[in-house]
Parts: sequence; C-alpha cells; structure tokens
Amino acid sequence: MEKDSLVEKLTLQSESFQEGFEILCKSFTFDEMAKNFLHLLRGNFISTKIYLLYKATKDSDWKSIQSQEKFSDDDLSLLSLNNPTPIKYFRGEKYNAVVVLPLSDFSFLGILIGGKLGGGELNDFDKITLQILLQVFDSAHKSFINQKNEKKLIFELNEKVLQLNNLIDTGIELSKYENQKILFEIALGRIVILTNASSALIIISDVQNNIVENQITFPQNIWPESILSSPHKIDSFFEFDNMSYRIVLSEKETRGGTTAFNDLDEMLLQAVTRQVHASLENDFLLKQSLEKERIEKELNLAAAIQQKIIPEKLPKIAGYQLSGINIPSREVGGDYYDCFDLGEGKYALIMADVAGKGISAALLVSTLNAALHAYLEFNLPLTDLADKLNKLIYKASPPDKYITFSIIVLESDSGTLDILNAGHNPALLLRKDGTLEQIEAGGIGLGMLDLGIPYSGQTLSMNPGDKLFLYTDGIPEAMNSAEEEYSDERMISFLKENSGQLVDEFIKLIVEDVKGYAGEAEQSDDITSMILTRE
Amino acid sequence: MSTEFNLISELHDKTLIIKTEGYINNTGGEKIVQELEKHANINKLVLNLEKSKVVNSIGISHLIEVIEKLSQTNGKLVFTNLDPTIEKTFSIMGLFQFAEKADSIESALK
Repeated sequence: MEKDSLVEKLTLQSESFQEGFEILCKSFTFDEMAKNFLHLLRGNFISTKIYLLYKATKDSDWKSIQSQEKFSDDDLSLLSLNNPTPIKYFRGEKYNAVVVLPLSDFSFLGILIGGKLGGGELNDFDKITLQILLQVFDSAHKSFINQKNEKKLIFELNEKVLQLNNLIDTGIELSKYENQKILFEIALGRIVILTNASSALIIISDVQNNIVENQITFPQNIWPESILSSPHKIDSFFEFDNMSYRIVLSEKETRGGTTAFNDLDEMLLQAVTRQVHASLENDFLLKQSLEKERIEKELNLAAAIQQKIIPEKLPKIAGYQLSGINIPSREVGGDYYDCFDLGEGKYALIMADVAGKGISAALLVSTLNAALHAYLEFNLPLTDLADKLNKLIYKASPPDKYITFSIIVLESDSGTLDILNAGHNPALLLRKDGTLEQIEAGGIGLGMLDLGIPYSGQTLSMNPGDKLFLYTDGIPEAMNSAEEEYSDERMISFLKENSGQLVDEFIKLIVEDVKGYAGEAEQSDDITSMILTRE
Repeated sequence: MSTEFNLISELHDKTLIIKTEGYINNTGGEKIVQELEKHANINKLVLNLEKSKVVNSIGISHLIEVIEKLSQTNGKLVFTNLDPTIEKTFSIMGLFQFAEKADSIESALK
C-alpha cells in the first residue's frame, strides 16, 4: 500500500478511533469494556474469529471473555508473557496475530485474531490499526481504573466522615436511654456499623459471684457461642457497680468475605465502650440523686409529721406555770413532749425520746402519741399504762428501736405528782428551799424487752415554789467543738441559778446557754425540755 | 453465620419492589443485588427499608452496585421508608446523588 494512501485512510479512521475511545470510556464494568472493544476489533478487521482472554495476574490462568470458545493448550501457549513484543504476527496459521497487552493494574488482555471474512492476512493498514486500537484500549482502561480508584477514594473518604459522624451520634444517642437493654442494643448496632463487624455480643456478669447475668447479640438471633468461637474477633471490657461488661465483635466484613479487625476498629470499639460505661455511670448517678431527693422529701414529711405532734400550745393549769420547747436537730429526731388535760384538774406531762433518728423514729413518736391519746382516757394506773405501751412499742418497732419515756400525772389542786420513768433521764424536782430530787422510779425503756418485767411508780407532792424540770439527753449531752458535753452538773447548776425566772424565760435562757456552750458545733440531737412551777 | 436478613419482592410491570428485613451487610447487600439480577428489563427498583435499621459500608457498596446496574439500563433506584439514621448514612455516603427517596412505596411508584 502506498504511503500517501495509508495516511489518507488512517486520517479518515481517526474520527472512528476517537469514537471508539469514548465508547470504551463509558463502560461501567471491565466486561462491558471488553465487549465494546471486541466489537471494535471485529468491525475493523472484518472478522468474527477474534477472541479476548483475560489474565488477572501473571500467575493466574487465562479466562475467555465475551465468548464460549474453548481454547486448546496450543492456543493458550501462543499467549506467552515472554513475547518480546505485545503483538506477534503469523502467516498461514490459525491466527493472523496474537496480542498479550499488559494493563496498568498488572493484569493482561489476550487477543487471538483469526482469519478475515473472505480470507486474507493482515495488511500494513490492519497492523497499524491494531497498534492504534491497542493504544485506545490501554488509554480507556487506564481511565477506567482511574475512575474506579477515584470512586474507591470517594467511598473511603465518605466512610471516614460517616464513622466520625456515627461516633458523635452514638455518644448523643446512648446518653438518652435509661433502659439498659435498649442502650446495649443500640450500642451493638452502632459498633457493627462503625467497624463493619458481622455480629456483636455483650456479656454482662456479676463480678462477685462470677455469674453471667445476661447476653445480648446483634443481630438478635445469633448464638453467643458462634461469636465467641469466631477466628476474627476483638473485645473490650469494663467493670461498674459490681458488674462486668464485655463487648465482643466478630468477623470484619469485606466484599470478598471476612478479615481481621484493624487498629482503627479497636479504637472505635474502645470509644463506644467508654460511651456505654459513661452512660451507665450517668444513669446510676441520676438514680442516686433522685433517691437522695426522695429521702429528703420523706424526711421533710417526717419532720412535718413530728412537728404536728409536738404541741403548739400547752394547757393553762390554774395555780401553775408550764412551758416547753422542742428544737429538732438537722435530721428528723425522735424527741417528744406534751401535756394532756385529763379533766377534773388532772394533767399528764409527757417527755420521751426515741432511740435513733429519721422516719422510723418519727413513726414511733406518732405511734406513742396515738397510744397515749387512746389509753389516757381510761385513767389507768401508770404501771399498767407503761406495761401496755411497752407491749405496743415492742411490737411496732424494729429490735434496735425503743423509747425512753417519762410520765407525770399532776393533780393540780393537791399538787400530787404520780410519776413513772421508763428508762428516761430522771425528772428534776427543785424544791423552793433549793433541795433537788431526781426521780428515777420506773423500769426499762418502752419496746426494749417484752418479758413482763413490772414497772414501778412514785408519788411525790409539789408545793408552792417548787419546780419540776423534764428534759431529753439533747441538753446534757450537747457537745462543743472540743466534743465535751454540756453535762448534767451544768444543767442542774443552771436550773438552780435561774429558779427565779418565769418559765418561758427559763426555757429561753437554758436553750441559749446550751447553744452558747455548743458554739460552732453542729446540733447533733433534739433539744427538748419542759418546766412546771407551782405558784 | 446467620445474619438475620430476609427480603421479599414483587414485580409491577418494569418496576421491582424489594422489601428488606434485618442487617444490610455483605450478606444482605448480596441478596439485594442477586434479586435485581433475577429480573431483566427493570427500569425502577423500589427498595423499602422499613424493617432494616442497620446498614454497614459493605452493604452500602452493594447498594452502589445496584445503582450502577440500573444506570446501565437507564433505570433508577428509589429508597422508601428510611429510618432517620439510615437516611443520614446514605446522605453522607452520597447515595442520593444517584438514587431517590420517597416516604412510601405508593409515592415511589408515582
């Protein structure tokens, strides 16, 4: 063929080559690209006996593409990677040309070009055309690989953005749930997304008894054992509130199957585990705070109940002055005082102290108050009254709770005092002449024992100018910051030195004296006292 | 290993409706691709993910393959009933550049 004619034909074909390149570049898959290339070859060489083969790596086998044709070993031996040039031409053989084209991804395209329709070998134009078409395919393939890599890079970048976003969302989402099962299910769902794990498991165990309390999997119907026996797995662990939590991930997925987890997966698992731990801690602290709030409300309620029981006003007793006070400590205490008008000029002065503080103490005071209201109506001897109260309080109280109790029934006309002291601080009777009598007759505290031990009473007479002082241990046992007690001695001295005061003033002064003595020290117990003076 | 994934499909003319249930991972994604490949000449795939709340990136790569296969025949993919978490995931992964979303199957079929 003349040189000018060859150039002219190639010039005319150039537009066709360009079009072929564009078609190849539009291919979505390698197979589609190969199919389009096959059409180009067959069209250009006017032959149906053109076959494409593909070799993924230099060590893999040739595979036919876009054809069901079976190739003999002789055919395949022509496709040698050791050929000095990609194209080998033959004359009078089965194939006119054999091509082994190395591709940019280290794979190989093999081409077997048989006879043209109507016979004939490849001429110079065909050979140049083949060279150009191979260049076109190589360029299109490079473009295809670049696009593929670009897509992969974009996918990986988006995946990283997604991981970061998921991690942030996981922290927010996990902090919302109080129900632990939902919390764990969401955490497992999130961590499998973050790491592409095939499945996940959380094992919750009681640390002290080493017992597995619960196992939750994602997806839900997987046996925990199948996750634990997986060859590819990672886990994390933490302990909180006597429970241990182990999160296990198994089988990191890829498009080709499964693989081992990497360092990033470990970090993501640790991050989600920390979020779960923090969520459990927050929930625990919130519950504690709510419990504390609930207890404080109960204590306030108990204090309110107790303050209702303590009399706002004491009855007026003709020929006598009576005053009393109760100053509760910070916690709800169990001090109680009262004066019941029994009618016919008789009055019952009560002073009591429940061992312990809090709601149970307040409830016992309430019980004692109700029982006194009930029993005092029957005008029982004090020893019988104490016996009944003892039995009642014994049944109503826990073993460590009892009440020290003092009752004095005054017959106001005669000044007779009928006295019973059940384990309480002795009442003090200060005679007009300064003589002090300590009244201890009685028995054990109410509710301590129910062994039928009899109570004993005492009768005294109160004369004009005499003073009867009742109190709880909050006065003599009040402590200063050096932890020294106010003491019985100081209290008695104060009583004697201030015996000329009116009862209201006396109560005010003794409270001031006790508080002044305690100074900055916190009031540890209720301060309760009552004083009766015969005019 | 079982991964608790199921799907059912219905064909309406040239529209294939697939409803999935469970984790869309490698297994789930493969099943969706295989279901599409069973039907020739599809120009719309409606993928109802109402019962799938978790999808990982391998599952997403299969969904991208579905989009590419449909593109070859000028078909399109429409997701319906998406969980907000999955919708956000697809948005970040750029799927809505090549696929649509609808609130329900009915609106996807319009």
